[in-house]
Amino acid sequence: MTARRKDAHLLSLTALVAALLAAPAGAAPASGGPPASLAAVSDDLARAVGPPAEGRRGLVLAVEARARQLQGPLETTLADALARQGYAVTPARGSGDPEAAARAGGQDWLLRVQAGLVPGRRELALVGEFIPAWESFFLQRRPGARARPPRLVQARGPADPETLLLGREERPPGAPAIRLVPLGRIAGRVLALAVGDAGEGPAIAAATPGAVLLLSAAGAELARREPDRSGWRAVRDPAAVLSVGDFGGGRLAVQWAGAPRGEVLARSGDRLEVVAALSAAPLCAAEGVRLFGQFAPGKGLLLDQLALAVDPDSRPRSDRELYGVSAAPHGGPIAFAALDSSLRLELLGPDLSPAGPALPGVGVGFALADLDGDGMAEVVASSPSATGPDRIRVIAPRVERSLLFESPPLEGAVLAAAGGDLTGDGVDDAVVAVVSRQGEGEVSDLLLLTSDPRELR
Amino acid sequence: MSAAPRLLPAALALLLTLPGTARAGVRPAYGGEIRVQLPAPPRIADPAQAVDPADVLLVRAVHATPLTIDEAGHLAPGLLEEVPVAAAGGRAFRLRLRAGLRFADGSPLAAPDLAASLTRLLSRDAPNAWVALPVLGADAFLAGRAATLAGVQVLSDRELLVTLAFPLPEWPYALATPAASVISPRGGGAGPFQLQSLDAAGARLLPNPLHWRGRPFADRLTLSGAEARASARALSRGEVDLVLRPEAASPLATPTPALLATVAAVNGRRLGAGAEPVRRLLDSLDRAELGQRFARGPSAPLACLVPPALLPPPGPAEAAGAPGAAPARLVLLASSAAPDQRAVAERIQVRLFDAGVRAALELEEPARFAARLAAEDYDVALVPVPVQPLAPALAAGQVVLAVRGSDAARRAMAALSGPGGLEPAAAGEQARALGRALDLWPLFATGARASTGPALEGLRVGVDGGIDPGDLWRRRGEAQ
Repeated sequence: MTARRKDAHLLSLTALVAALLAAPAGAAPASGGPPASLAAVSDDLARAVGPPAEGRRGLVLAVEARARQLQGPLETTLADALARQGYAVTPARGSGDPEAAARAGGQDWLLRVQAGLVPGRRELALVGEFIPAWESFFLQRRPGARARPPRLVQARGPADPETLLLGREERPPGAPAIRLVPLGRIAGRVLALAVGDAGEGPAIAAATPGAVLLLSAAGAELARREPDRSGWRAVRDPAAVLSVGDFGGGRLAVQWAGAPRGEVLARSGDRLEVVAALSAAPLCAAEGVRLFGQFAPGKGLLLDQLALAVDPDSRPRSDRELYGVSAAPHGGPIAFAALDSSLRLELLGPDLSPAGPALPGVGVGFALADLDGDGMAEVVASSPSATGPDRIRVIAPRVERSLLFESPPLEGAVLAAAGGDLTGDGVDDAVVAVVSRQGEGEVSDLLLLTSDPRELR
Repeated sequence: MSAAPRLLPAALALLLTLPGTARAGVRPAYGGEIRVQLPAPPRIADPAQAVDPADVLLVRAVHATPLTIDEAGHLAPGLLEEVPVAAAGGRAFRLRLRAGLRFADGSPLAAPDLAASLTRLLSRDAPNAWVALPVLGADAFLAGRAATLAGVQVLSDRELLVTLAFPLPEWPYALATPAASVISPRGGGAGPFQLQSLDAAGARLLPNPLHWRGRPFADRLTLSGAEARASARALSRGEVDLVLRPEAASPLATPTPALLATVAAVNGRRLGAGAEPVRRLLDSLDRAELGQRFARGPSAPLACLVPPALLPPPGPAEAAGAPGAAPARLVLLASSAAPDQRAVAERIQVRLFDAGVRAALELEEPARFAARLAAEDYDVALVPVPVQPLAPALAAGQVVLAVRGSDAARRAMAALSGPGGLEPAAAGEQARALGRALDLWPLFATGARASTGPALEGLRVGVDGGIDPGDLWRRRGEAQ
């Protein structure tokens, strides 16, 4: 892995690309070729354009992408795809009017392509205007008139991680590297958060003492469930674990401390229905993995018991008790993290083996999220101090200058956090819940912690 | 507006500055031992008998109450599923227990236990009888004319109907006081802890996993006693986690509401015509100065029988009593248990001397003090009464019971209540008039100070001055 130069104020996209290119085999794209999804979507657009008509093969290709660094690779893959359709492709150069340039150069067609990532989804979209550039014999008295109407073509497809990186917009000059964006407010204390694809794109799940809610990526409530608490054991400090992932019949799993078992939930309109019971607590989930454990009987803390499957023979690793466990949304060398009751965060690899020295001083509102997209998760953590206002910090494990970001003081306490891509740029974000008192009750303000340049403006 | 369920801004402000269960990014951790030091070790774990602050804290640790006081000072469910609504013009309350309640020993906690706990408060000389005095038939039961308490009717395993002898809509506030805790037939409790041992050194307690709110955070709780300097030293050395006493044991001490009322009782029967100048003198005392100079904890002057934390003090009153010849000598009775009571008594002794009255100050240990008070063996007595309920009528009832007995206490509660309750101003005037009618001269109310060690969390001093020991926890590792 490239040596990481962490700076609290700089997250250079160039460095990210460099890091990607230097990534070990298995994480990198096929050697020598363009990103697979870039080539696939380019092929789709070329097919939508179709082969040259009437022997008119000369084509000027003008590509505009919201992310500057996407423009070059996309131009290359599009040129290849159009060439395979039979066109002689000339990339447009300079800042002038490409249509005028195509006419002046005696070209037959101008294909003007706009490219960008679809917000909220991991998809690349291309929209092209296929414009005739030859002079019409019948319209000689109207210079600039087109021989036939232009045709719109489009293509869209899933974006692989490399394409997502290329499609990521640059941070505007002077903008902060990470920003906190308010998402919305939930009544009550949020005990646990999870981010992931709940079946209809990225979503947020939140558990309060009285309900579990499914929210859109923008924080709007989509569905909820209020559990039947009969048979529950009383717990003085309410707690819950919550995961979004593949749990068989549903993509949401929850267990409250004191509840006899966990629940797998599926959305049905504006309700979350129980589709299965879990005999283990769904601690967290990420791409392809789920982690299970157990609450300590009668307590709001977890046993130090981690298992990659529901395993009745699983036993605690120690007599420690855990505040929570988090998974890096896209795995990586640091795949899991477990916070014990002395606020020490244990970093674990994909096989649950130690992945570096433990981080001391991590508050109970914590999550793993690869906010800079370099393949290694950062730790998003609240303050470990019980006095004074809370803050959100982003800490890079394994590096010397590890504090990448620290928020201003917050009005409330951060008691839950989760990582996942909510902005659709392919890079993890994090969502945190800031619990504060309002009137005679509590409310939780959800904040998005993102390095997506679109959110930094 | 009813005078009963209200909070004064100062009390509310005090509450809001205190920590809740979770602060910043730290949630409670389980385990460890919480060590609490008080002016004296607790001796009594019986809710019916506990009056001393140390005993009341032990009761809060071992027992559970039907209702609780929430952070805003409102009634909230405790052992009861919900806060009962007054019926029959404030005379009837249907109490419904939560399902599945158990005492710490595992035996079920049911409506008959609640009925028995209310009834046993009415034993003779029980200091906390004020909880059950308003119940229909309490006078007959106390006088031995009835075998059972007529106003308490068990409807089912979980339901109880309580009928009062007079309208008292704020009576449920009594159910939120330690005195109203439910006790098992074997004397056990359903509180956050269970008593492991109680001796002259103090109380040692273990967690009760069956508490209705869940097991407490600490694995052990010890309540011990020490004098002020020893407590301050122990706190600074980390040998204790919390010191609760009038004096601050650390710079970060938090004051608790001033709810320990000190009243002067005049024995008009013994003093005869000489009582009038004594009353005038007691009435003219500068109560603010008395509290500030001679009480050790935070203090507030008492203008009526109800502490100002519960009821705004009434306006200035006309001087009490008619001029008359002062007695040449009188006996001033005070308790030796509280050092500041002696200091106040000596101050009053000086003022009496200035007025030409020689007062013999007689300090008695608590049991003998109570006996002499009951026998009216004094001319003037200084009586400290820790007020538990937040409702003014009940608070006045508790104060009057401590000095003038159960009949007067019932009359006091009835006088300060009514179907709709009294307006605060009217209630204040009524409480003052009541005090004069009973020859009780309120002086000041004091509170305590909670001094915490650096690792202690979860301390929340309620508006009623209460602390739930089950919420206390110790920070560990980096959290410290």
